[in-house]
Amino acid sequence: MVSVINTVDTSHEDMIHDAQMDYYGTRLATCSSDRTVKIFDVRNGGQILVADLRGHEGPVWQVAWAHPMFGNILASCSYDRKVIIWKEENGSWDKMYEYTGHESSVNSVCWGPYEFGLILACGSSDGAISLLTFTGDQQWDVKKISNAHTIGCNAVSWAPAIVPGSLIDQPSGQKPNYVKRFVSGGCDNLVKLWKEEDGQWKEDQKLEAHSDWVRDVGWAPSIGLPTSTIASCSQDGRVFIWTCDDPAGNTWTAKLLHKFNDVVWHVSWSITGNILAVSGGDNKVTLWKESMDGQWACISDVRDERINMLDIWTENKTPTMMKPGL
Amino acid sequence: MAARWSSENVVVEFRDAQATAMSVDCLGSHAVLSGRRFLYLVNLESPSEPSRKIGRQSKWDVGTVQWNPHRSEAHVFAASSNQRVDLYSWRDGCGEAHTSLQGHTRVISDLDWSWFEPEFLVTSSVDTYIYIWDTRDTRKPTLALSAVAGASQVKWNKKNQNLLASSHDGDVRIWDKRKPNTAAEYVAAHLSKIHGLDWHPDSEFIFATSSQDNSVRFWDYRQPRKYLNILSCQVPVWKARYTPFSNGLVTVMVPQLRRENSLLLWSTLDLNSPVHAFVGHDDVVLEFQWRPQKEGSKDYQLVTWSRDQTLRIWRVDPQLQKLCVSDVQEDLMDGMSLTTESEKPLSSQESEGQQSGGPASESLQDQDSSLSAGGLQDSAAGSGLAQTLQQEFSLVNLQIRNVNVEMDALNHSCVVSAHFGSHQVHLVVKFPAQYPNNAAPTFQFVSPTTIPSAMKTKIQKILRDTSLQKVKRNQNCLEPCVRQLVSCLESDMTQEDSPASGPFVLSNPVTPSLQAFPRVTNTYGSYQDANIPFPRTSGARFCGTGCLVYFTRPTTMHRSVPPTEPTPRSLSALSAYHSGVLTPMKMRSESQSTLRLYSGSPTRSDKDTVSISSFYYKERLPISASRRWSVQTLHDWPKSRRFKTKREGTDYGNRPIKLAGKVIIQEISCLLPVHKTLGENYILNMNDIQETCQKNAAAALAVGRRDVAKVWALASAATNQDLSPDSDPDMETPWARHPFGRHLLETLLDHYSQISDVQTLAMLCSVFKAQAPPPDSYTLFGHHTSRSSVFPPHHARYPSYTSSSVTSGSCSSTSDSITTTTWNSGRDSEHANPWGESSPDDYRYVNQGYTDPREREREQHEMNKRLLDPANTLQFDDFKKCYGEILYRWGLRDKRAEVLKFASCPPEPHKGIEFGVYCCHCRSQARGTQCAVCKRLTFQCAICHVAVRGSSNFCLSCGHGGHTSHMMDWFRRQDECPAGCGCHCLLQSTF
Repeated sequence: MVSVINTVDTSHEDMIHDAQMDYYGTRLATCSSDRTVKIFDVRNGGQILVADLRGHEGPVWQVAWAHPMFGNILASCSYDRKVIIWKEENGSWDKMYEYTGHESSVNSVCWGPYEFGLILACGSSDGAISLLTFTGDQQWDVKKISNAHTIGCNAVSWAPAIVPGSLIDQPSGQKPNYVKRFVSGGCDNLVKLWKEEDGQWKEDQKLEAHSDWVRDVGWAPSIGLPTSTIASCSQDGRVFIWTCDDPAGNTWTAKLLHKFNDVVWHVSWSITGNILAVSGGDNKVTLWKESMDGQWACISDVRDERINMLDIWTENKTPTMMKPGL
Repeated sequence: MAARWSSENVVVEFRDAQATAMSVDCLGSHAVLSGRRFLYLVNLESPSEPSRKIGRQSKWDVGTVQWNPHRSEAHVFAASSNQRVDLYSWRDGCGEAHTSLQGHTRVISDLDWSWFEPEFLVTSSVDTYIYIWDTRDTRKPTLALSAVAGASQVKWNKKNQNLLASSHDGDVRIWDKRKPNTAAEYVAAHLSKIHGLDWHPDSEFIFATSSQDNSVRFWDYRQPRKYLNILSCQVPVWKARYTPFSNGLVTVMVPQLRRENSLLLWSTLDLNSPVHAFVGHDDVVLEFQWRPQKEGSKDYQLVTWSRDQTLRIWRVDPQLQKLCVSDVQEDLMDGMSLTTESEKPLSSQESEGQQSGGPASESLQDQDSSLSAGGLQDSAAGSGLAQTLQQEFSLVNLQIRNVNVEMDALNHSCVVSAHFGSHQVHLVVKFPAQYPNNAAPTFQFVSPTTIPSAMKTKIQKILRDTSLQKVKRNQNCLEPCVRQLVSCLESDMTQEDSPASGPFVLSNPVTPSLQAFPRVTNTYGSYQDANIPFPRTSGARFCGTGCLVYFTRPTTMHRSVPPTEPTPRSLSALSAYHSGVLTPMKMRSESQSTLRLYSGSPTRSDKDTVSISSFYYKERLPISASRRWSVQTLHDWPKSRRFKTKREGTDYGNRPIKLAGKVIIQEISCLLPVHKTLGENYILNMNDIQETCQKNAAAALAVGRRDVAKVWALASAATNQDLSPDSDPDMETPWARHPFGRHLLETLLDHYSQISDVQTLAMLCSVFKAQAPPPDSYTLFGHHTSRSSVFPPHHARYPSYTSSSVTSGSCSSTSDSITTTTWNSGRDSEHANPWGESSPDDYRYVNQGYTDPREREREQHEMNKRLLDPANTLQFDDFKKCYGEILYRWGLRDKRAEVLKFASCPPEPHKGIEFGVYCCHCRSQARGTQCAVCKRLTFQCAICHVAVRGSSNFCLSCGHGGHTSHMMDWFRRQDECPAGCGCHCLLQSTF
């Protein structure tokens, strides 16, 4: 049963730009134009403000929880060109690290898979992508990909550490050698894949399909199947699903999920990678699922009353969700 | 400044149109876009639906296109193409060219339908003739006016059916068609070419001309020597047209310039500054036309076509219209509710419309205009600078707390005074003549400045740097400098006042928004900042395992979006601050009125410089301010919004405006293929696979997964004892080879892969792994049945081979049936012994060396017996790991451990092991059997005391050892080290 289990009144003084729950789904972090990041304990339907993190000097665009094996760590990025990594120690939240290496607004932060340690990718409007790696003792190693996207980088998303295609062909008996990879999207209308080789980040692939700024990219979680999947969305209203069956990761094919009427801001994969949540300027969320024959269909459709719950917060009382297969 | 939102209602892109001209029909239902290959007819009611096309075959672009303005002939439009005018008719979704008017001998520059006679069309051409056509007789023009000079524009008078005006270079001629021989009046309007000509909608005598000489002039042709008024701009003006409502004028710049893409709306009563800018087009505007007002609507709509290949429709609501009518001052002062407001403009419009016969003359501003007209071309000259400064002053947004800026454009200076705490700062800024073209202003502190001199120096340096940075790009620097100054002062004062406050504590927690922003804004203008994407104001994210978290705009801010209305892509669309959208235009206003105009209520102004929420909520500001805001923003809102505004309008003042919506967490696990209940109830009892399958089937049935329940039933059948494979490869084909064996399982796994049911995948893999513990090297220690008897001691044939207990521990070698702890009992003690091997080159996997076909067959049989294809072991492991991760998130750690027990754990990749020894002669470290220093053999056998050259074994604990054969013999009988050190080598070396 799809049901609202909690409605959190954040008391932010200005618009919210991101909300994300931690690994276990017990805490919620939100960030806003009021320059704060707030953390709520949302267990059992409650909403207790745990922390009100102030430190950014501009609207905070995005937050990201690190894997709990590193402790309670949250990264936030802002218009003020800073990335702040917050850590909870003994119940109080403090700045763990502040990164000021970007020359324009930092639009996206994303933690890498825990297998790689504590590593954060940051995409900025100055066109660069930074990779911050925790090396212990409060030390962070910074690698910067300059001019990753001309004009600006809008989103970053890591590939799962299990990169299936590459595993199967490996000689058995050897531990797979995980390659760090991530995907980024930018104002050059491109989706780019990056790969670390010998400690250096290299552009691996360049995916072209969008006709306007790419606003978000999402690398689907892997359940061990030999297909990599990426979703990308853009100002042009289009959402593309990119898939790659090739173990070398060189041939990506694009499939248009849907063309929306307004900008699409965000794509998010469910944990099993089979449902995609799409949200954008029209203040609506649609859920999409791939059918057995490979077609993407909108499943948050009016006909299913249970899922209709998704619509309750849109103001118009008559839900106008996308019909599947459009 | 944030008020200068793009306010278009509709944006439609016609990528391939390449249209050069556009026209809106008199019903307001269609617009025609004329490209070279097609004419596109756009339904303005639903502009996004595919437009219909009329093909045309011409190598010439369409010069002008115009619909017939009479309702009876509303389906007709004329398009000029080189020397010809084609008349098209458009009915019921189909259109065709039905007539051509041919007469001109050079390219046609303009055409215009008569406002009074539906059949009459006038055309002008560079061939110096102006023809009036009766479209009922298309063979030749009914009237020809000879002008001697080529004409650029021709327009019928809107009030007098006999009058028309044409422009020829800088002159305008007024014609009476009853006296075609000569022009009725000459007006030497401009010194440069006139691009645009427009008759006043309500006056027979007044018209406006726009020209290359950077001005728009207003004329009464009865006084041809003196213009009524002038609007001076800094760039050539392409078109200036009166608005259908009173006293408005819209201008666009010359397309060739490509500098200024916005349309400006002016009030003809006050030409000091535009009342609104229609910002949105990415390229120059080629054509703009008013869509006839719909019945009952108070709004006007402006339809624009730009070289960026988009058609935009902008709504001009009564409040914006009113700006052109009434005085700005009065507008700000009164605090009437919106209800009365919305009705007021109409009446005032009508009344003013009556007298608008010559109202413009009253607002003639001789001094101003002569001043600006004089210095137009030379911006470096004194008056030019004054204009630049005035323009900058009028645009800056300096409503910063505690700061006052007195601007004096004539003396090229301004005084910034600020007080922070006990300190006062007075700073004189002087602008050089070339400013801002790479000439920075100077900054000087004057009394009564109270800050220490060290700080003065510091601030001066910062200001110099900031200003240089800006003027290098020919950008204005006043506002960045002032903001820089403020942030410097603030940070310093904050440090003084509260040294204890940490970096996270804002200096003033009560009004944090006012404090922190200037520091950001001072850099808000770098070229990179133009491309910061417009922030998300709603979004959804899958979190945890079964939650969807979403945040939205508050319902009060929600937009019921017309389908074509876009959200701006960049944050910079919020504010024209950085890009200088207005800079090409000269604005001669006093700064005061402009500031008020753009900054809304003073309390919000600071934040408004980049607040995103202003895009959504402006109508919810307190009324007095909201009216000004609403000018730019209300256009988008559908009518329901108005209702809300009215209803809630009364208690604005005391109600906080809520900007943040709620964050909603929704349980969506029913949409996922994995179930937490199943995670809890599934069991993995490797001792009783049958029971496991049956219980799991029941669990699956309980959560409604009937398909999975059936799969468990199948699994139960497939793991039945009766089907367990024989160990002898010759006995029978294992069940796995049967179609219902491995093939069936593979099909099942494929199916569940497709629906991403990692739970079922992982459980099936675990169960079938438990059912047939594979003999491969990765199986967990302890699952081995004693198969030593099955395996012949094949290592005996490789005497140099020693399985290294160091490398891979007790569960190491592939076919090593017995563990090293029991090596004594093994028949082949050699390969199981704990002694290291001195020639590591020999280390290799055993199975690489099979030579006996029987072994290969046996191995093959081992593989064949298994229902899970061993080739995909790693993939199966991934299923389990993924499922393990999900179980971990569910907090089911024991279940996770149970599943992960069945994951094979591949050993660390073997990097090779080499033992180093100290040379028994020279004590230097050596590798291999020969010492690199003394060139003698390094290692002596503990038994025969002869140097060991070949295969050797030694104890890892005490380091003694010797010839392999000697050691074998010794340890068959003894436990202790042959060297007599007392080491129990066999026990010690076992890890």
